[in-house]
Amino acid sequence: MNELINELKVKIIETLNLIDVVPENIDENAQLIGGDLGLDSIDVLELVMMLEKDYGVKIDSREIGVKIFASVAALADYVHHYQSGKSN
Amino acid sequence: MGIISPVGRGIRDTIEAIKNAAPGIKPLRLFPTSSIESLPVGEITSLTYSEDVPRTHALARIAAEEAMHNACGSPDAVVIGVTTGGMPVTEELLKKGILDPGKYTYHSTGSVASYVARHVKCNGPVITVSTACSSGAVALKIALEMLRSGKAKQVLAGGVDALCRLTYYGFHSLQLVDETGAHPFDRKRRGMSVGEGAAMLLLTVAESPPHNAVAELLGAGLSCDAYHPAAPHPTGDGALKAMKEALSDARISPADIDYIHLHGTGTVDNDLAEARAIHSLFRDRPLPPLSSQKGAIGHSLAAAGAVGAVVSAISITNGIAPANTGFREPDPLLNLIPSVEPLQANINAVLANSFGFGGNNAVLVLGNPQRRERAPNLFCKVQPVPLAVLGSACFTGAGNAKKTMERLDQGESARGIVPPLEILKPLSEKYVRRLKRLCRMALSLAVSACEDNEKLAPPSAVYFGTGWGGMSETYDFLSKLYASDEQFTSPTDFIGSVHNAAAGHVAIRFQSTGPNVTTTGGDCSFEHALYSASLLSHDSNAPLIVIGADEHHDILSPLFDASVALGEFPADGGGALYLRPATSESLLRICPSFIAYAGNNGGGISELIISLGGAKRINEDFGAILSGIPAAERNKGEAQLNDFLSTTGYPHPVIDYRRFVGEFPSASAVAAVLAVSFAHTGEIPANICFPRATPLRGRGILVLGFGSHITAMEITP
Repeated sequence: MNELINELKVKIIETLNLIDVVPENIDENAQLIGGDLGLDSIDVLELVMMLEKDYGVKIDSREIGVKIFASVAALADYVHHYQSGKSN
Repeated sequence: MGIISPVGRGIRDTIEAIKNAAPGIKPLRLFPTSSIESLPVGEITSLTYSEDVPRTHALARIAAEEAMHNACGSPDAVVIGVTTGGMPVTEELLKKGILDPGKYTYHSTGSVASYVARHVKCNGPVITVSTACSSGAVALKIALEMLRSGKAKQVLAGGVDALCRLTYYGFHSLQLVDETGAHPFDRKRRGMSVGEGAAMLLLTVAESPPHNAVAELLGAGLSCDAYHPAAPHPTGDGALKAMKEALSDARISPADIDYIHLHGTGTVDNDLAEARAIHSLFRDRPLPPLSSQKGAIGHSLAAAGAVGAVVSAISITNGIAPANTGFREPDPLLNLIPSVEPLQANINAVLANSFGFGGNNAVLVLGNPQRRERAPNLFCKVQPVPLAVLGSACFTGAGNAKKTMERLDQGESARGIVPPLEILKPLSEKYVRRLKRLCRMALSLAVSACEDNEKLAPPSAVYFGTGWGGMSETYDFLSKLYASDEQFTSPTDFIGSVHNAAAGHVAIRFQSTGPNVTTTGGDCSFEHALYSASLLSHDSNAPLIVIGADEHHDILSPLFDASVALGEFPADGGGALYLRPATSESLLRICPSFIAYAGNNGGGISELIISLGGAKRINEDFGAILSGIPAAERNKGEAQLNDFLSTTGYPHPVIDYRRFVGEFPSASAVAAVLAVSFAHTGEIPANICFPRATPLRGRGILVLGFGSHITAMEITP
């Protein structure tokens, strides 16, 4: 799981062109959207595309989105469960 | 009027469709979609056209021909709102890897208006407005002000957009498309249906309406949310401001409105913001019948505002409020129940809303021409106002204005690619992390132009001219789409690919909630922006900013722009002027004096000379001419310039600025900023035309543009 969390941090930084941010700066339990990183709804959509492309994870409702993008840890958890077929 | 939409071609069919609430949304058939299931769209399925032009151009011509049917003579001006331009063809070519510039002749949004102008034989201003989904209504506002100014007696104005992958996948990537088709204002609405169409209106100015007038455009209001690149202000503040401006412009009150043609895209956020704005406008008064047509015909984007105007006119002439197709269940959050069936009603005044990306709002008020209760709001020939220069900034390959002047002082060319770090200098990299080259350039220019004037009010309105818009975003969007077999792309790139994205960012930066207009008329986009600024500023004293910028893109620039392909060096850049309607005598002024389309014949030069006050004034008042001739139009442009010089016997220096600024559409914005700088110092610096500096002796400078458009900007002390 830690590996996935780190991998997601790197992908978030790359996908969103986060300036002066390294994976170590991102607290996986901190609020991801609207938090210190300054991410907003457009970034969420960009991440939705990245998750579908790189992990095959589909997110097509706002309600699920809010849950998944709560933190990097929540995101990793969702991706992990989705991939192991435990999520619907 | 002329119209083509998914429910009919022509006014007669459209009236029938409205009476029957005909549905026009079906799964996409126009192009294959390899991975996602075909989404419901508003597609015109039986479109046939013989000429080898993009779909957008064909749609525009169909609507224009209908509008001009039985018209008396050619229009004095054409103003068209468009965002897709030649994209339906361009994206196919790029998908196939065809990189022959000859095939991209019709790519630009500006080529649509020129194409229409050729068919309707217009030799006056031919202006393209690209403000996303409000484009058509903004075009009508500009046309209205042209008529009020006395600059035109008859204007053909409207909007057009065609379905293409860019918009189809773009809105899908933003999760703004309802997979069951749009049902605006319904509790379970989940988004829009992307559509296409064209609507054109022939507007004429008259003290008493002509016998065949179908409606009167009573007024229009523009505003900007200055809030978010793609989402509306949550409480609809910008929409409310535009509605209020429109009603005030039309000199009527909310109580006079008999029907509201809603923007109503069907997205969760738009419909909520619009409903809130309507409630704020009407307060406790009962709402008139209201409906969105987008559940029936989809969202025709840049055409939507003009389609709304035509539908509003039909509602007036036929006494019918159209149905809000797709609405089933009221949404308690909206507290707004649109008409579910077409409604017979006596309609004398209509409020028609259009809102777009960049928080761009445009609202029209149309009235029954036979029931006019007040004198028309014509302002009796208010001329476009000269604008006083408060600040300026430019970028060339040399860098900012100072570095550009240093380079020119040394007798060297400033053309080239603007260094990225130079663009970034006045900006925070974190703040602009999502912005690509053009948006950064425009924002940086705006910030630099205003930075020495912190005591003055920030610009309340933004005018932006760009020949090609955000090419980096367009290219990256399509590249990602094709690389993933049309499965994935970047929502950020889609938002950035909209031509008015940069102007939206400038508005957010300065909280500019006034008009936000982006013009995309090729090599005179900047002049059109300045002209629009001057037209729309006659009743205001607020500062504004006019920006012109274009980015160089290694692949797209030489494909799209024949002048770039001919240029020896790639170049880009732009300029910005921080302005205020001129009141003080002590400031330099800039005035867009002349704009004409010269694509139909060889004329235009004598009209240019007349509009500048004749040879005597030109020779006495202007100590230098900065002349802009795009490389692809050298022969034509030089003949025009020579005609101008020999007719006037012009005795002062003439400077061919593209030779040292480079080949890109908004080179004229750089020229305007340089002219301001020369006029400030009172001389043309050494090495620009002569080895020594040339004194202007209190005279001004003319910036002229030649080629398929002839333009003049006066800079006077």
